[in-house]
Amino acid sequence: MKIIIRCILDKIFTAITWLTVFVIVILLLLILGPILSRGTNAVVFRDTIEFRKMQMALLNRGNETNLTAEISEIAPVRQKVYDTINKFKSGIDTDALTEQVRKIYRDCGQELSYKKLTPQQYTETRSLLKDIRDRLQTAFASTDKVQIAKCTSFVMGYADDERFKGTSAGDFFRIAADFQKAVEKIDFAKHLQYVQAVGEMEDLLTQLLGPRPGEALPATAMNQFGATRWDLAEKLMDNLLWKEQWVSQKSGKSLVKIRTERAKEFAGTEIEPLFGYIKDNLEKMLKPQWRFYWQYFIDDSTPGHYFGGIGPEILGTLLLTLLSMVFVIPLGIISAAYLTECTTDNFVVKIIRMCINSLAGVPSIIFGLFGLAFFVLFLLPFLGFSSKPCILTASLTLSILTLPVMIRSSEEAIKAVPLTYKEASLALGASNFKTFMSVTLPAAMPGILTGVILSISRVAGETAPILFTGAVALGPVPSSIFHSTRTLSYGSYDMAVGDRLAAMVPHNQYGMVATLVILVLCLNTSAIILRSRLFKKLHGH
Amino acid sequence: MNDSQINQVLSPTADVKHQPLVLSYGQGLGNFLSLYVGRTILFLITCTSVLSVLLIFFFIIRESLPFLQKFNLTEFLTNTGWYPQAEKPQFGALALIVGSFYVTAAALLFAVPTGILAAVFLSDIVSFKIQTFVKPVIELLAAIPSVAYGFFAIMVLAPWMQRKLGFTTGVNALNASFVLAVMALPTIVSVAQDSISAVGRELREASYGLGATRMETVFKVVIPAAHSGIIAAIILGMMRAIGETMVVWMASGNASQIPHPWWDLSQSIRTMTATIAGDMGETAKGSDHYRSLFTIGLLLLIMTLCLNLLSEYFLTQAAKKSGIRK
Repeated sequence: MKIIIRCILDKIFTAITWLTVFVIVILLLLILGPILSRGTNAVVFRDTIEFRKMQMALLNRGNETNLTAEISEIAPVRQKVYDTINKFKSGIDTDALTEQVRKIYRDCGQELSYKKLTPQQYTETRSLLKDIRDRLQTAFASTDKVQIAKCTSFVMGYADDERFKGTSAGDFFRIAADFQKAVEKIDFAKHLQYVQAVGEMEDLLTQLLGPRPGEALPATAMNQFGATRWDLAEKLMDNLLWKEQWVSQKSGKSLVKIRTERAKEFAGTEIEPLFGYIKDNLEKMLKPQWRFYWQYFIDDSTPGHYFGGIGPEILGTLLLTLLSMVFVIPLGIISAAYLTECTTDNFVVKIIRMCINSLAGVPSIIFGLFGLAFFVLFLLPFLGFSSKPCILTASLTLSILTLPVMIRSSEEAIKAVPLTYKEASLALGASNFKTFMSVTLPAAMPGILTGVILSISRVAGETAPILFTGAVALGPVPSSIFHSTRTLSYGSYDMAVGDRLAAMVPHNQYGMVATLVILVLCLNTSAIILRSRLFKKLHGH
Repeated sequence: MNDSQINQVLSPTADVKHQPLVLSYGQGLGNFLSLYVGRTILFLITCTSVLSVLLIFFFIIRESLPFLQKFNLTEFLTNTGWYPQAEKPQFGALALIVGSFYVTAAALLFAVPTGILAAVFLSDIVSFKIQTFVKPVIELLAAIPSVAYGFFAIMVLAPWMQRKLGFTTGVNALNASFVLAVMALPTIVSVAQDSISAVGRELREASYGLGATRMETVFKVVIPAAHSGIIAAIILGMMRAIGETMVVWMASGNASQIPHPWWDLSQSIRTMTATIAGDMGETAKGSDHYRSLFTIGLLLLIMTLCLNLLSEYFLTQAAKKSGIRK
């Protein structure tokens, strides 16, 4: 009986360990999955015509004639939307109308003064004009349909008046007629709501389709174009169709999100069918295409990474990595050679080893502090350079950080070289130095290379040490090693916690970190493969 | 035979004075140079790491010393108010120290059982083939940059926690310690596995021979025999967690407070590393605030060095026991 329980317990234990490892593997997939899958989205995606416009305008990339043809193709489809909105606004946007009427009144008054009129005629016409203007303004301000009808019909009564022939007063009558027509369909109780809703709708349309043709271009690049990606366009379309609101249900309870159809706000007006029209014709208005945007890895970006790629970040990471490798590879190999070949385990070596181990255990942020205090604030001014964080200080800091990794792996590699190799060389009369350079080092090279690759991957991924020693979130591409640089690691941090702008381009957030992760994982995988090959070679299997 | 006769035998033309046939090392000029001068140069280069450690200590102490002279160390260690930018600044780092230990402890709570079970799995349960598949997975887990973990914590895990677990904020101690646990796992697994594998076959076979099941063998024989290495693994995992910056900076919420009640992991906290990383950008060089951050750094440095020495002690213990020379 007891044996059965023990056996069952044993099986359960085995199952639990299997489960644990299974969970670890799943965790790896869970962490890498979203980063890699959504990161791919930054490079392979469906672009829209706005993307092609942006590429043409900012980078002069693409086929101009094709683009012009496409733009003229989509123009009528879009124009219909704008026309409908304009027409609707002519009834409800009374502030704009009032403004318009005032302007016409001024223009018309000037025109009258050029006409050859007797003073009396002039005064009469002028006062009539003023009367018309006031009536129209009353009509715009009113919410009573009868009163509006009275005012507009009063104005319309002068439509064929000889005195106004050939002046801009004709616009008065057009506006009055339009307004009269529009008012008949409007529910005046909802007037203000309409104004607000149309405003929101126009904002969303600008985000979706870009500024209207003929409108002045906004100053910032991000506002000059509509949705450049189809997934973004679909999200904006969803926003356009559905209005999201946070409503408190009961006091003390957390807010609840509800979605209402935006079309319902315009029930009974000509805007209502417009939503269906936009939804059905979105593809015609934006012309999505699949695109492999490999330039993502070389393009510079507009501020906040709204458009463009991560070229400067990749360049910065490469610069930092290469420069720190220049420092750390010779240091690491020489130290390892000394520790393995030249000494026995005496007291001094024990201290050196202890220091290497301690260095490996120092938290990365301490390296950042040290880099700031020593390289930036002490060494640079000491050598006569200006004391500011730059690529040089960052890579020096990183090289100290990765020194223990380099020393340890080189040491392992040198130790793994069979003693017979060395003995054979020494027996042939080669000196110690010669033996090391032409026998031990080449034999240990794959192992050292593994160490180098691991160091590179460590350096490329570290963020904390370069926070204060040379990394910036935004800035120009560095022109020398005495400038600070953007890096993938710091960029990933900045995009993740960054401003509102970064949150609007999730594909860029994920794209940056995915690039970093892929870079590091490729390096590590190659190190693992190299090491297993070396293991087989040295053990003769 | 006397000496001259021997010389006659060794070199037939012995009248001329010449070098002995076998030179001891260091007698020729080239050898002398390569032996002493070359070695000295190599030794000096090797000392870079020693120099680095010394410089790190020197500069961190140099920057934090004025702060320690100006302010009371006991107050720094026992006050919970961290208001360095206030009109009357307060530098009480207790909440930060507690925060660091809090997330580390919580992370170890997840990571230690999982790590040891995985180590046992790798050394005692599966065949070599599965081992070669699982080990790289764990190594990849160690290779992922910390900023990518932080990214995952803030972009994926935090919204999920807020949505599914109903926390008021997704960036909290639970989030940070969970991700830290994943980061500490590879260290714990690999060090623990080394020491568990080093426990001799004889011990296991003796245990099986007495009729113990595998579970009993693992818990009553293998793990007690490998305890030094496992302790070292835990300490190394702890060092990884306590020194980690990016993840806690991004995922812990950065609210300088001690959680109340103490077991409530869903509250935001702030750690020492995150404070250094977050505040350094806003301080003027040489100000009290700047120096206080270096003081926190010094504290962190001393703590990790102590932990490091402790782990080395346990590792040498483990090495002695298993008879393997490091």
